[in-house]
Amino acid sequence: MSKAKTQQPAVIHKVIMVGSGGVGKSALTLQFMYEEFVEDYEPTKADSYRKKVVLDGEEVQIDILDTAGQEDYAAIRDNYFRSGEGFLCVFSITEQESFQATSEFREQILRVKNDDNIPFLLVGNKADLEEKRQVTAEEAQHRAQQWNVPYVETSAKTNANVDKVFYDLMREIRSRKMDASKQNNGKKIKKKDSKRKKCTIL
Amino acid sequence: MPAQEEPPGPLQPTTHVNPLGLMEDDKPVLPGVNVRAATPERLVHLCVTSFGENGDIKDEGEFPNVLFLMHKWFMTSVELAEAFLDLYQSSDETVVCPKPSCSHLPSQRQCELQIYKAKICYAVRYWICKFPVHFDLDGKLSAVIKQFGSLVQREGNSSFKELIDLSKVPSYDWMRSISVRNPSMRHNRKVSLVFNHLEPDELADHLTFLEFKAFRRINFTDFKNYAMTASLKDNPKLERSIALFNGLSQWIQCMVLSKTTPQQRADVIVKFVNVAKKLRLQQNFNTLMAVVGGLTHSALARLAKTTTCIPGETQKTLMEYTELLSSNNNFSNYRKVFHQCVGFKIPILGVHLKDLILLHTALPDKVEGNLINFRKMAQLFLILRELTKLQAHDSIPGLFANMDLINTLRLSLDMHYTEDEIYELSLAREPRNSLSSPSTPTKLVVFAEWVAGISPPDPNTINKHVHDMVEAVFKNYDGDRDGFISHAEFEAIAGNFPFIDSFCVLDADQDGMISKAEMKTYFIRANCHALRSSFKHDFHEITYFKPTFCIHCTGLLWGLIKQGWKCKDCGINAHKHCKDLVVMECRSKANASCNRRLDSVSSNGSGSQDLSYSTKRKMSQRQKRSRVHRGTQTEESYFLPPAQSEMNGEYGEYYEGLHERLLKAEESQTSHEEVQLVIS
Ligand SMILES: Nc1nc2c(ncn2[C@@H]2O[C@H](COP(=O)(O)OP(=O)(O)O)[C@@H](O)[C@H]2O)c(=O)[nH]1
Ligand SMILES: [Mg+2]
Ligand SMILES: [Zn+2]
Ligand SMILES: [Zn+2]
Ligand SMILES: [Zn+2]
Repeated sequence: MSKAKTQQPAVIHKVIMVGSGGVGKSALTLQFMYEEFVEDYEPTKADSYRKKVVLDGEEVQIDILDTAGQEDYAAIRDNYFRSGEGFLCVFSITEQESFQATSEFREQILRVKNDDNIPFLLVGNKADLEEKRQVTAEEAQHRAQQWNVPYVETSAKTNANVDKVFYDLMREIRSRKMDASKQNNGKKIKKKDSKRKKCTIL
Repeated sequence: MPAQEEPPGPLQPTTHVNPLGLMEDDKPVLPGVNVRAATPERLVHLCVTSFGENGDIKDEGEFPNVLFLMHKWFMTSVELAEAFLDLYQSSDETVVCPKPSCSHLPSQRQCELQIYKAKICYAVRYWICKFPVHFDLDGKLSAVIKQFGSLVQREGNSSFKELIDLSKVPSYDWMRSISVRNPSMRHNRKVSLVFNHLEPDELADHLTFLEFKAFRRINFTDFKNYAMTASLKDNPKLERSIALFNGLSQWIQCMVLSKTTPQQRADVIVKFVNVAKKLRLQQNFNTLMAVVGGLTHSALARLAKTTTCIPGETQKTLMEYTELLSSNNNFSNYRKVFHQCVGFKIPILGVHLKDLILLHTALPDKVEGNLINFRKMAQLFLILRELTKLQAHDSIPGLFANMDLINTLRLSLDMHYTEDEIYELSLAREPRNSLSSPSTPTKLVVFAEWVAGISPPDPNTINKHVHDMVEAVFKNYDGDRDGFISHAEFEAIAGNFPFIDSFCVLDADQDGMISKAEMKTYFIRANCHALRSSFKHDFHEITYFKPTFCIHCTGLLWGLIKQGWKCKDCGINAHKHCKDLVVMECRSKANASCNRRLDSVSSNGSGSQDLSYSTKRKMSQRQKRSRVHRGTQTEESYFLPPAQSEMNGEYGEYYEGLHERLLKAEESQTSHEEVQLVIS
């Protein structure tokens, strides 16, 4: 965990965890942020969901929004989604319902972001519970292909693929940002426009 | 908050496991809480030793506060009381008084054993005095305390007995009353129940009243259960608070979207931003979040034409609040401002729930086998102490509540829509791309589709809210107290319920007036899923030969041919882009004449009555009613015949209503004209 507040790296990638309750969003977040040092965790601190990481040689910050406790505030879910630059859409491979729910989350995200290519990973968590599997890798893979997004299976318990999903998503966000700035260099006027529309960040 | 700005320390704090069933904490979360984990027995002992010989807590340590507030996280209150009792009983063996000449009897003030026993009683007294609500209505707990008292008495320690005597403790009756004690409006000042006439400040006051009432009912166990299960199942009080939040957010969106022109929509937005300003002054952050969340929801944020009608200053204010409540940096803006605020304030409950849930997810309740993770309890304590402290205010400063308005608002906020429905409505109001033809929503917009993932409030709650609201409406709008309200009165109220059915759907027996029973039945039914299917109309495109108006937006069906769509079954007319938004039930042709708006407009003749017929019908209804009204000075004179001259008044009123509607229709023509121009 990086506590030092000296010179923040310029780039912050904003990631939002979505998915039904109990699929392991918080477990994945905590595992990625703190690994075994979770005893030091202080949820009210400003930087408790921010971490400095080195992404392909470049120092960046990841900011993770775990929507814990916000799931029932359905009316403003939309507002949370708007601030995200990339989404980890999590279900549990041991619960079919949670897999079905991913479609609704995807739909709402696309509507809010108004962008079919928003950085997005479909994540099948609790892969350590193979004996309780209800969602096959094939059907999850199939859905991911339909959406044109990657599918990764993780376990917050064994730490399998936890870093991978966060880093893969950050790479997608980074490449989207680079595309956007290239485009904007061509059309200066458009850049202004898109900036103005982005200023709602609740 | 301590340790906030600490330099990075060692990642794994050193801990000392001690054979006495305790781990010390070298980085205490709170002063006096130097234990990281311990057995319950050990915790009780530590609590006792936090007290000095004079009965006060030493060095203002927080240990007793953490233990007493948090114990229900890991043990029952009865178990805690029994632990104190056990400690008292076993102290004869465990506490050694070194004084050589001591008899160790209650009379010896300096005896170490007696001092320890006194501290146990001080601790229990502290618990009773500071947390009276734990003892309220808990018979078993009171029994243990009484048992404790008689033991102390038997030993001859009558002064100790006084300490823990429940009946000697200051009254905790006030804890029972969960009502917010705000005086009713001064001098019975008349408040409008109609949204259009309500001042933003009044609206804010009443929203704060509702919010605080819902907030302060949520108790420790409710918070704990939610943190542990992250589910609202069997948690009605928290569910109510969240339903209020979602309901308000959606009501705002619907109030805006119920307006037909961009300017009208912008006006509603401006009004709610003014409501937000007052909420900010009141430090009611939860309602502020719901209001700002509703106003910045993409269903409204996407309305470009509407946005251009919002004054820059209003937009700036909204932006400021959005920034204040932003989830960025773990809500750091909000957290900072919230901590600076003093006095009465209502937190964004969701943020603090999130902290509780995440602490609970991150940290285990027990460590090293069976030791209670007391460090975690201290961290949870910080959050819960703040919440409980804020709940303890028993009135809201400077606020006067009118219960009739409260009841009306409460029901307005009970009406639920799905995200999809609201979004479809938004698309219908301002289509995605104004160059293409308006997209036709595929779903109906109706009441009562519960927010996904949230179970509907239980029927009893709804029934009660409906009852209270209808009583309030009749009290304020049924001027002559005959138990009926008229068209005009209904129109006023309907403004609070966007997309409410037209008058005649509520007027079930079609006598031209709405009775209390009719209104109650309607609202209770409006809250059922069942309603949805009964709206289905069979629309087909049609050419009108006389000016005809849309049932949904009341706008003129514009153009020379194929101006609109007509239902084959009930004969109502609507714009192409309005027809799927109609929330009026489909009625058979036989009943078509009851349709108020249909009455006032004539169509190509098929399936609906002509103006003169329906006007006559309406008049005769009014006449009948008028007879009853005017005669109702006393019960006895109820059936007195009416004076002939009163008829004229009825005509006048009717035509005025029609005129107003036509004006309204004309007003909205402009916007339809725009759409037409864009299409062609
Ligand atoms: N076996 C296993 N359990 C997990 C895994 N991830 C989470 N859990 C458990 O699933 C439950 C819910 O996890 P949580 O992170 O709170 O889910 P959230 O509601 O999506 O945030 C907890 O009891 C976790 O311990 C995993 O990868 N494997
Ligand atoms: Mg969670
Ligand atoms: Zn002694
Ligand atoms: Zn219309
Ligand atoms: Zn019909």
